[in-house]
Amino acid sequence: MGALLELLASLFRRWTDKLDWPLLLALCGVMGMSLLVQASAGGESGLRVVLSQGLRFGLGLGLLLLLSRVTPNRLRSSAPWLFAFTLGLMGLVFVFGTGRSANLWLNLGVFYLQPGELLKLSVPMMVAWYLHDQVLPPGWIALAACAAIVGVPVGLTVLQPDLGTGLLVGATGAFAVYLAGLAWWRIGLILGIGLGSLPVAWPFLLPHQRERILTFLNPESDPLGAGWNIIQSKIAIGSGGPFGKGFGGSSQAHLDFLPEHTTDFAFSVLSEEWGFLGVAITFGLYLFIVLRGLWIASNARDTYSRLLAGALAMAFSVYVLVNGGMVAGFLPVVGVPMPLLSYGGTSAVSLLAGFGVLMSIQAHRKLIGR
Amino acid sequence: VQRRRQVKNSYLETEQFRRRAAIGGLVIALAVLALAFGYFRLQVLLHEEYRLRSESNRIKPLPIVPARGLIYDRNGRLLADNVMAYRLDVVPERIGDIDATLRALQARVAIDPDELRRFRNGYRAGSFRAQTLKLRLDETEVARLAVDRYRLPGVEVVPYLTRRYPYGPLLAHVIGYVGRVDEADREHLRDTPFSVLTHVGKSGLERHYEERLRGEVGFEAVETNVDGRVLRVLRRQPATAGTDLYLSLDVDLQLAMQEAFAGQHGAAVALDPATGEVLAMVSLPSYDPNLFVSGISHRDYAALTGDVARPLFNRNVLGGFAPGSTIKPFMALAGLEYGLRRPEDTVLSTGEFHIPGQARGYRDWRAGGHGVVNLRESLAQSVNTYYYRLAMDLGIERIDAYFGRLGFGQPTGIDLSGEVGGVLPSPEWKARQRGLGDRWYPGETVIAGIGQGYWVTSPLQLAQATAIIAAEGVRRRPHLVRETQAGFGQPRRAEPQPQGVRVVRDPRAIAAVREGMVAVLHGPTGTARSAAAGAPYLIAGKTGTAQRVSRRGSERLDPTRLPYHLRHQALFVGFAPADHPRIALAVVVEHGGSGSRAAAPVARRVFDAWLSRPGMLPPPAPAPAPAATPAADSPTMLPQATGEQR
Repeated sequence: MGALLELLASLFRRWTDKLDWPLLLALCGVMGMSLLVQASAGGESGLRVVLSQGLRFGLGLGLLLLLSRVTPNRLRSSAPWLFAFTLGLMGLVFVFGTGRSANLWLNLGVFYLQPGELLKLSVPMMVAWYLHDQVLPPGWIALAACAAIVGVPVGLTVLQPDLGTGLLVGATGAFAVYLAGLAWWRIGLILGIGLGSLPVAWPFLLPHQRERILTFLNPESDPLGAGWNIIQSKIAIGSGGPFGKGFGGSSQAHLDFLPEHTTDFAFSVLSEEWGFLGVAITFGLYLFIVLRGLWIASNARDTYSRLLAGALAMAFSVYVLVNGGMVAGFLPVVGVPMPLLSYGGTSAVSLLAGFGVLMSIQAHRKLIGR
Repeated sequence: VQRRRQVKNSYLETEQFRRRAAIGGLVIALAVLALAFGYFRLQVLLHEEYRLRSESNRIKPLPIVPARGLIYDRNGRLLADNVMAYRLDVVPERIGDIDATLRALQARVAIDPDELRRFRNGYRAGSFRAQTLKLRLDETEVARLAVDRYRLPGVEVVPYLTRRYPYGPLLAHVIGYVGRVDEADREHLRDTPFSVLTHVGKSGLERHYEERLRGEVGFEAVETNVDGRVLRVLRRQPATAGTDLYLSLDVDLQLAMQEAFAGQHGAAVALDPATGEVLAMVSLPSYDPNLFVSGISHRDYAALTGDVARPLFNRNVLGGFAPGSTIKPFMALAGLEYGLRRPEDTVLSTGEFHIPGQARGYRDWRAGGHGVVNLRESLAQSVNTYYYRLAMDLGIERIDAYFGRLGFGQPTGIDLSGEVGGVLPSPEWKARQRGLGDRWYPGETVIAGIGQGYWVTSPLQLAQATAIIAAEGVRRRPHLVRETQAGFGQPRRAEPQPQGVRVVRDPRAIAAVREGMVAVLHGPTGTARSAAAGAPYLIAGKTGTAQRVSRRGSERLDPTRLPYHLRHQALFVGFAPADHPRIALAVVVEHGGSGSRAAAPVARRVFDAWLSRPGMLPPPAPAPAPAATPAADSPTMLPQATGEQR
């Protein structure tokens, strides 16, 4: 009996020795919050929603465990292949994609796959792969190469049209370049040009995207139209108060005032039911995850690992800030889910896979790379 | 593989990265803190304001259920209509004691036990979703509830559109019916805007065209009082009504076809051979589809399902008939096209056919046989021996292949759900069945040649195959919907249909078979000659008599001891006018006895009804017809003498 336990314990240790426990516990904390929110926001189909989300978390955690055991060198050599594969999937979406408003999903029979989410992992991998062999900080040529690596997938995503994912994928690539040490004056120049060209981009935005930005600037102008979501979400958050209405108490969600309350607006439900206390805890967990990620990146053993880990960690913060800002009316409505909290399979699985990569980088930090 | 240009300074790069990561981490931490402060402001500083707004949140989006598409016949007569009705909804979250509420409601409204049980089963205490207790309140009930509304919180009288079928049983098997959304539908519609629907198509066209008939759900933002009662509508995105269907079916012909059966049971389909359009289609007995719309009571449903005549069974698409001698014209076509027979080739019928070396005899229907017959006479007199021998010469493989081309053994693809393919006998088919053994016997080929044995067809398949002969060898998919109209004021669009396929290539073969089929009705020996008496146009046809279950070996079945729906079937297939076909049909009269006496007269009445329309028959022949006189019931029709030569 004792021997069996011993065997099990050693097997467990063998399989989990590459995990970073502080990071994993923080992630599990967020996922726990997610299941709690889904159970309540899902309403009559709550159990079904929780089970299917739990299944996806399980899948993601499995992938995390697997990726944590793959060495960074192997991850690096597979980067171009993965990149080409996800680009191919994006192409398939154009041909076979399905979806209600935009064709973002591929029907794989068993489940729907959203290839845009996979880009969030494969694009920074590709940028880091490229910069790994470059002399850093990058010059204009390296910058142009990175712009091409990021630009093609971002362009495909925006054309789908999925502006939110496109911006996030672009940001992830940009973070890798920033972390590689791109000179501040170059960063300033690029940002200046980017901001200056915004008015030029305006006519190319789709009507619903323009409407979202205008609504953000003045939500009360059309309280029943485009501003509806933001106002109702703010009411949900504000009425939650310091300690919230408790589990199942989100009247905003249950009376159908709050749209998309299991997906993009899941954080509003959390805010309403668990109040500022819940919000503060969640933000604390998120911030810990990001800082832990940057810590892992700083201790990584080579350029590729550093850039990849850093870019993934910083990108994670963008999801939190954009979704958190959006549902509280501080930012325009962009289709960005709250990471690991909103209902959505591909997003959760690809995020957890990303953290698997981080854990591998942490576990292999002491080995000397080639 | 890597090209080295400059030396990478690993230490400097690491330092650089750490600086950048630290700056990034700091910026992110500050941003998260700022965001947290934003939430702090909303949730703690401004909490009171938002709490009030949440409680007084009285503006709410409500779905608008679209009007279901209407269904018209080819002349624009309304076959499926939407009428306004009121239903009684209960919102569990807003009522206190469910039993007290139900008692209070039962004092004002008659609620039958079925409805009460259905409501109790679906009831979820505390749910925010309204649940229907009773559909179709009558005027008195609506008035009574309106008066006591303030005493009944959480009880709502909701107007809705319900379906009405003005022609009732006449079209039940074509239009089908809508019924209340059940558990399976609810699962299917979950998470779509259509989860607000109360009714979905359950059978017939209503089911087949469900997605186009239902339209698009709209929304309106309404302001409500504290009890949730709507005070005013603030914004509205109207629902889009479903697509209207215009059928090729003609109600008058449908009625004539039903009356032609004179109370007998059976089925019939009439097609326009030039297009594949269904002109009329009855399956008798029928039922009243209106019973199903508001939820059929247990007693009514038990009466329908318990009826041995099976009124709910659509005989046209669910088939289950042995075709009998009605397949002989197609056998003849196969013989001609495979080059095994010429029209003038003759066979001696002695009354009994033997496979060489076997004792068992296969009989003709006339004792002593029909003598020497050619193709024309084999059809006119329905000579089994001719077809026993032809079946042996063709072999089962060629029979199988040829009849497959004519559409047997597979669904026709008509726009009705649940169509079955029937059985086209072949050794492969037999091998796939359990318990039939895996050897194919020559005797099975012989009886397959006269439409007995394993054969199972539907009236629709027979009508389709008959229309192929009428349309000079072109097979067209039978269909009911001719045009659709997506919304009021939109143009009517022809419903696209697949191109017809030429499946019979030899026009002389068709001409020869057609001559034989004309002889069935107009020849001196024709089995159905009495049915053509006085017809002012030529009819081509073939009679058939078949058992619903076949005899095996020498065992005999006592017809009187068979279940009612398994007794003799009388069949007729045909088209008219034979030289310029306007209508092709198949008729099955259950337990009708013989095809010539029971089924052919039904067909004749349908032909008369359709061809008496102006423009259906060619202009009068230049020479006045000497022999025949116009039929008494159709004085406008012109006599044609050619058919009556004896």
